[in-house]
Amino acid sequence: MKKIAIIIALACGCGLVQAQENYFFVNWDVNTPMTNTNWIGSTSTRGIRGGYRAVFGSQRQFSAGLDMSWATFSEYKPTETFQQQAGAITTDYFNYIYQLSFAASGQYYFHKSTNERFFSYVGMGLGANQNKYTVFYNIYKDQHSAWGFLARPEAGILLRISTRKRIGLMAAVHYDYSTNKSNDYNYSSFSAVGVSVGIMSMQW
Amino acid sequence: MKKNFFLFALVAGLAWACEPTPDNMKLLDQLVVQTHYDTEVNFTDYATYSISTDTIGFISNANPNDTILTEHDTPGYPRPVLNQVATNLNKVGYTRVEKNANPDLGINVYVVNDYNLFQQVVYPSYYYPSYYGYYGSYYNYPYVNTYAQNTGALVVEIVDLKNIGADKKVRVLWTAYMGDVYSTINLVQQSVDAIDQAFHQSPYIGR
Repeated sequence: MKKIAIIIALACGCGLVQAQENYFFVNWDVNTPMTNTNWIGSTSTRGIRGGYRAVFGSQRQFSAGLDMSWATFSEYKPTETFQQQAGAITTDYFNYIYQLSFAASGQYYFHKSTNERFFSYVGMGLGANQNKYTVFYNIYKDQHSAWGFLARPEAGILLRISTRKRIGLMAAVHYDYSTNKSNDYNYSSFSAVGVSVGIMSMQW
Repeated sequence: MKKNFFLFALVAGLAWACEPTPDNMKLLDQLVVQTHYDTEVNFTDYATYSISTDTIGFISNANPNDTILTEHDTPGYPRPVLNQVATNLNKVGYTRVEKNANPDLGINVYVVNDYNLFQQVVYPSYYYPSYYGYYGSYYNYPYVNTYAQNTGALVVEIVDLKNIGADKKVRVLWTAYMGDVYSTINLVQQSVDAIDQAFHQSPYIGR
């Protein structure tokens, strides 16, 4: 899975670097898990997304590019006793997911050509993500890492600060679905809703 | 300039999001308590026990010469720990007797100290020999990080002295592991609480 993600990234990257009009962005990403919320249900404010998108079409209706994101989900679990075959274990603990994802993405823009400052779009990203499922208790740590296929529909807006400046603001809402799972922690496919805001640099 | 700004934002963001760990104060304020017992034993078959008053065992790979922790050497630790074990045993109906009074159960209490040294070879991520030239590469040699980790568990065992075999071996009926006792906020209180929890999660012990 890791190799597939790298191959997709390289293939897309090679085709896009030649595009004349493009933008790249860095966003703060806030995510709320939608599944397995008994393991972690808390909203994560520790996330970052970055990406590059090449713009196509006579009226800049389309773009394609690469997104990379990193997020940490965490939740404290109060003291609990787990029964074992011939005994028990009691502890409080923290569940963590360290998530890294790569996606090749495409966008369609709803803007009018006369407005060069405001762009709204919908898009879809496909790629892979790695989740490191981690449990911390006292000084001890258990971890299981897994890769999965990632699908990420997204809607967002771009706002250029002025027509003479190449810098702008970006906001997006996205839904992440991943086949990522952990049998060790009885964690089935991962999904989350995220909101990201940040800055971008437009090359046109 | 703009490129540098974006690069800085990306690196700062990644550093901020990159594998943070939980708050230590919350992680270390109570010990992990694990208990294990012999499922074939009926604990109601026993009536008396014996336990030391002020000495607990000490097993360490850091200092093999240390074999016991006494109240004299480590004041304030052995006695409260041993008293708490005895209190819990009394509560479930066992009677404390002297060691030479033929007790049914023997109680072992000891600390296991595991002292590990780790070494890690670090290879610098960035290497620009053509830019820095021959002398610059001196700074890019891999180097070795050495760090130590000191961990330990408080262990309480209940052993069967009533049914000693012909080979003089005794059977361990119940064991409680409580850790880590080397990274605590309040060692004595956390140890006492952990002992209470060990008996609480073992309702099969008692008469």
